[in-house]
Amino acid sequence: MQRGRPVVEVVRLGLVSYQEALRLQQSYVGRQRVAAAGPVPGPAPPHALLLCEHPPVYTTGLRQPYPPHLLDRLRLLGAEVHRTDRGGLITFHGPGQLVCYPVLHLASFRKSLHWYVGELEQTVISVCSRFGIEASTTRHTGVWVGDNKICAIGIHCGRYVTSHGFALNCNTELSWFGHIVPCGVEGKGVTSLSAELQRDVTPREAVPHLLRAFAQRFDCELTGDRTGCAGTD
Amino acid sequence: MAMRVALRCFSANFSPKLPQLSQIAQTPATRLLWRTDAARTLSTASPLSTALKFTDKHEWVRVEGGIGTVGISSFAQEALGDVVYCGLPEVGQKLEQMEEFGALESVKAASELYSPLTGEVTEINTELADNPGLVNKACYEEGWLIKMTIENPGELDGLMDQAGYDKFIKSLE
Repeated sequence: MQRGRPVVEVVRLGLVSYQEALRLQQSYVGRQRVAAAGPVPGPAPPHALLLCEHPPVYTTGLRQPYPPHLLDRLRLLGAEVHRTDRGGLITFHGPGQLVCYPVLHLASFRKSLHWYVGELEQTVISVCSRFGIEASTTRHTGVWVGDNKICAIGIHCGRYVTSHGFALNCNTELSWFGHIVPCGVEGKGVTSLSAELQRDVTPREAVPHLLRAFAQRFDCELTGDRTGCAGTD
Repeated sequence: MAMRVALRCFSANFSPKLPQLSQIAQTPATRLLWRTDAARTLSTASPLSTALKFTDKHEWVRVEGGIGTVGISSFAQEALGDVVYCGLPEVGQKLEQMEEFGALESVKAASELYSPLTGEVTEINTELADNPGLVNKACYEEGWLIKMTIENPGELDGLMDQAGYDKFIKSLE
């Protein structure tokens, strides 16, 4: 029996708090897990691709080498601080940064986290090249332009359902990164599409390129493009 | 490829521990027949009770003297990539079968671990704090994750033996 390409629903959240985006992700994760565990093999729910921007927030991952005084210092800057269960160390999210949370059931793609992270990196590299920027991967996860990271990646996976994702700097205020060692990688910098092109590139401008690159890379069909609320239909 | 690797790990694991079985280890069919019968008739003190059992989430459990040692399979560690951090439970924590008991982090991705059995954590592999790569290098030996008591030995019957697991991962490829 021929299996069609996986269907991925695009959900644009606009500017949402980190907690709200997390809550929405969890409802999409739940939708995937319930369907996978169910006894009746009906049509699988579409996977989801959540797109958003966050007010300034620093997030930490599964590993917790951060003393409370360090995190307090970050709060004094006017940012939220949030602990998560994703991989990766500390990073920053803020306006001007396109944050993307693919909630995919890897059974419809490939059941390998290693592969999945690699595909996300290649998707972002493709987006950069559509802007005429040469980006690459290094031994440090993420997407780099030379010694500067343009996109951070941090994933969580449970029962093959992915959450969290990646964050591409479009016209992010990069000085926010100066208060941390981004992703724990010493001696490297950060950059953005705007910084590389010396013109203002908004997340809105990057979205269509990202969607095309994602659909191509993951060989899937994108649908919806609705402003998401509950994620149930 | 994953299957060949899994078998290599498996026989390398057994020959030092069970010298009387080393001949049998070369002939998979005989080994499996013996082990299936043995599990029903022999006591837990028998070395034959140390056969690996697998879950469909790619965890393995090996029972020795009523304690189960848990780890992830070679297939799983290959799919994860290089493990950089192991988030393990506390000793004394009670686990239900299929309950999340921790996570492994690799290439910026954290993947959950699921308990193969119901029981209580008796030991965690503290080597992994400084050397998480052991999970990749020696997933069936030094890369073990936790040890736990076995509250319902019947749960073991529901897990896959080596042959069943090999077939299972073949169906995934």
